[in-house]
Amino acid sequence: MTEPRSIGIAQLAIVHAPDQLVCLGLGSCVAIVVYDPGLKTGGIVHVLLPRAPPKCDVPEKYADSGVKKLIKELLSHGTSKGRLVAKLVGGAQMFSNLNLAIANIGRENVMEARKTLHEQGVKIVAEELYGSRGRSAVFDSSTGKVTVRTAFGNTRVI
Amino acid sequence: MIDEKAGKVLEIIKEFANIGAGSAATALSSLLDVELMNDVTTCNLLPLAKVPEWLGGAEQIVAGTYTYLCGDLKSGILVVLPQESALALLNHLTKENIDLAHLTPIQTSALKEVGNICLCWYLIAVSKMIDVDMIPAPPDATVDLLGAVMDLPLASLGEKVDTAIAVHTSFKGIDRQFDGYFLMLPEESTLKLILDKMGEPG
Repeated sequence: MTEPRSIGIAQLAIVHAPDQLVCLGLGSCVAIVVYDPGLKTGGIVHVLLPRAPPKCDVPEKYADSGVKKLIKELLSHGTSKGRLVAKLVGGAQMFSNLNLAIANIGRENVMEARKTLHEQGVKIVAEELYGSRGRSAVFDSSTGKVTVRTAFGNTRVI
Repeated sequence: MIDEKAGKVLEIIKEFANIGAGSAATALSSLLDVELMNDVTTCNLLPLAKVPEWLGGAEQIVAGTYTYLCGDLKSGILVVLPQESALALLNHLTKENIDLAHLTPIQTSALKEVGNICLCWYLIAVSKMIDVDMIPAPPDATVDLLGAVMDLPLASLGEKVDTAIAVHTSFKGIDRQFDGYFLMLPEESTLKLILDKMGEPG
């Protein structure tokens, strides 16, 4: 097994067992993991904002277009749409005292990701969301498990 | 667009970064009641994606103070203190043992204030040089993974910004040293305004 590959903001990747992917330092960003347990193939898209503008050259940056692209790429890797399941990590509110409309962008990212996954018929099986702490998420494509760590030591496997 | 201006902007930023760091060192000296000099100041113009790497990795724990300018100049501003620097500063200010995972309200407030003082002195330096008022909103601070701290600054500027002005300053006292990083995320109109005011029409 190789070292987990790091997926930054507005990046997308697909892996097969036994490879792993990691998103480091998710704040209001959301890591959307979609996995086919039958084929042991899955992918992550690391989105920053909820909705893509009409003219958009980086679909991976937005929850709606990112989810669509992730599912499309997974299907082109031979996965079966009926088997796909999704997990969501992130969407925290890092600065709660700012008087900015965008201060809780994390929640909007999550709402948009859920909505698009629902439209695409992909079921969400686990979530680790919100709060005021950043997270790192490691996705293991051999099990489909996502290990979520926070800054000060808590680890949870979903 | 931004690439062409990068060189000129960097020259200008270097000038005010040095002045700003000097003022910030003076202000911090009186806050902490120790002699501080700004030891080294370096400047970079970076694509946003490279910023976490420049600061030492998305997964390190940092103290971040974020605010934004409301006025003619539109820019996000983030002051980042590495873990050790934040610990040393807070310990010195509060005379308490600091647990960054569980800051008390007083400690959080002290952290905000340090960030606020640093960023205001930088802004005063810039503002004097280009003769434009800069009005920062009240800041907020958090201690967390660097990547997470940077998410909101990035999200609030969305696709309008892809370059960060990054300034690193080492402050040095007799028995201590700490680092501060000052990140300015200007909208293109703000970069243009700075250049115009400095007599380098973009």
